Amino acid sequence: MLRLADADRVASVSWLSRDAANSNVAALADRVPVNHGLAEEVMSHRPDVVLAGAWSSRTTVEILKRLGVKLVEFDVPRTFDEARAEIRKLAAAIGEQERGEAMVRDIDAGLAALPSPKPPLRALVMQPNGFTVEKGSLVEEIMNRAGLENLASRVGGGGYLQVPLEAVALQQADVMILNGEAYGAPSLATAALEHPIIKALGRRLRVVALPPKLWTCVGPNLVEATRLLIAQTRGAGTAAR
Amino acid sequence: MTAASVSPVARAEATRHAWLVVGLSLIVACALVGSLFVGYAGLDVTQAIADALRGAQTLPAIVLVELRLPRALLGCFVGFSLGLAGAAMQGFLRNPLAEPGVVGVSGAAALGAVIAFYSGLSTLVPLALPFGAIAGAIFAALLLFALVGRGAGTMTVILAGVAINSFAAALTSLALNLSPNGFSALEIVYWLMGSLVDRSLPQVWLATPFMLAGWILLLTAAPALDALSLGEPTARSLGFDMARLRVRLVVGAALAVGASVAVSGAIGFVGLVAPHVLRPFVGHRPGRLLFVSGLGGAALLLLADIAARLLPIRPELKLGVITAMVGAPFLFHLVYRLRREA
Repeated sequence: MLRLADADRVASVSWLSRDAANSNVAALADRVPVNHGLAEEVMSHRPDVVLAGAWSSRTTVEILKRLGVKLVEFDVPRTFDEARAEIRKLAAAIGEQERGEAMVRDIDAGLAALPSPKPPLRALVMQPNGFTVEKGSLVEEIMNRAGLENLASRVGGGGYLQVPLEAVALQQADVMILNGEAYGAPSLATAALEHPIIKALGRRLRVVALPPKLWTCVGPNLVEATRLLIAQTRGAGTAAR
Repeated sequence: MTAASVSPVARAEATRHAWLVVGLSLIVACALVGSLFVGYAGLDVTQAIADALRGAQTLPAIVLVELRLPRALLGCFVGFSLGLAGAAMQGFLRNPLAEPGVVGVSGAAALGAVIAFYSGLSTLVPLALPFGAIAGAIFAALLLFALVGRGAGTMTVILAGVAINSFAAALTSLALNLSPNGFSALEIVYWLMGSLVDRSLPQVWLATPFMLAGWILLLTAAPALDALSLGEPTARSLGFDMARLRVRLVVGAALAVGASVAVSGAIGFVGLVAPHVLRPFVGHRPGRLLFVSGLGGAALLLLADIAARLLPIRPELKLGVITAMVGAPFLFHLVYRLRREA
C-alpha cells in the first residue's frame, strides 16, 4: 500500500513493515505511524478504510466490523494472477487505480523480460525449523517461473511442511533455497540450517539464499525474486553461501 | 568364609547378573543398529556402510554418517545417562520416585541450556551449551538434596520436584519469550519434551565427554550405595563418607543429565521406568542396579526414537511425549503402591 499511496494519506501501518529484514518498504514505513494490529490502536487514527490481511487477528477484524469501519480484507495470493488481482483490489480500495495498473504493468513487463531456463531443476525451499513451501503457493509459482520444480509435494502432504534434513538429502534436490536471513538472533530454527550435512552435500546441492522479504508480499519484488533465483541457479558461478 | 569358597547361592546370583547384562547389551546393540535402518526415506544402509568405510562421499554414506549415526549414538548415550542417573538418585534418596525429570533436574538443565543458547553465548563458545545445562542441573540437584535430605517422605520429594520443575519451566518460557528471534517461542516444546531430529556429529563430540565423566562418577558409587542400603550407620562403619558420596552423586548426575539435555532437550520418565523394571532382577541391590539401568534407559530411548519415526504422525512426536506414554502409568502405579504402604 505504501507504494501505491502518498505517505501523508496513510494513517498507520503494521509495525512489521518497519522490519528491514522482512519488509520491502521499511524505509517508507519509517515515515508513517505504526500499529500492532489491535482494534484500539487502529481506531485511534480514525481511518477512512482499514486493510486487513488473512493473518490479521480475527478478534480485531470482528470488532472493527462491528464499529462500522470500511474494511477491505486480503487473501494470501497463490498465483501471479491472484497477485495481480490483489494489487488491483488494494488500489481500488484506496482510490489509486491508475498506480495499481501501472504496478501490474511493471510486474508483467519485468517477468516477460526474464529468460525461461530449461530443463527444470529439482529444488526445495528450507525455512528455519525445516519448514518448506507448500504446493500451490505463490512461492511455488515463482520457482516454476524460474525453472525450478518444487520437491515439497514429493516429501509429504500439503501445507507448510516440516521436512527432516534426511528427506532433503535423499530427495536429491539440485537446489536448496534457504530462507535463512530472516533473523539474526540465535534459535534452533536457524541452527538447523547450519547442519554439517548441508556442507557435506557440497557440490551436488547448490544452496541459494534468498532474502525472505522478496517473496513475503506482493509487488515488484516478485520480479526481483524470480530474477535472483534464475541468476543464482543457472549462473556459472559457485553456489551462494 | 574365605573369598575362594563363595557360596553356591552367591555364585548363581552372579551368573544370573552376568546374563542380565549380556541380554540388555544385546538389546541395546540391536536397537542401535535398528535405529540406523529407520528413517524418512529409503536408504540402502548396507551400501551406505560400505561407502562410508571406503571413505566415499556418496549420498547414502553422507546421510548415514551425518544424520542417522549421530541420532542413534545420542539416543543410546542420552538414554544411558538418564537411566543411570535415575537409578543413582533413587539409591541415594532411597525413594523410587527420584528421577531427573520428575524432580526437576532435567528441567533446570533445560533452563541453563536455553539461557546459554539464546543469549548467543553458545554461538561464540560451543562449550557454553553443555556448561549452561550442567550448571542448571547441579543447581537443581543441590536444591533437591538440600530440601528433601535422605530418607525423606515421598511427598517431600514430589513436592520439591513440582516446585523446581514448574519454576524452571516458567523461567525457560520467559527466556524464550525475551529472545529477539521470532522462532524461539515455538522452540519451548523442544526444550521441555526433547527430540533427536537432525542431530549432528559435532553435537555428539560436544556432549559425550561430559556424559562419560558423569557415568564414571556414578558407576563408581556402586559399593557405597550397596552399603547405604544397609542403613547409614552401617555404611559409615564400613568406611563410606556420606558427604563425599552426596557430592559425587550430585556432580555425576548433573554431568550426565546436563550434557544429555544440552543436545536433546529434557526427556522425562526414562530414569523412572528403567530402574523400576530392572530392580527385581538385581535382587534390589542399588549398586548393581546402576549399570543395568543405564542399559535399560538406552534401550528404552532408542526404541522410543524408532517409534517416533515409524508412527505415521508428522512432524514426528517429541520423544518426551512417547516416554511419557510409557512412563506415566509406571508413575501412577508407584504412587498408588506408596499410598497403600503409607
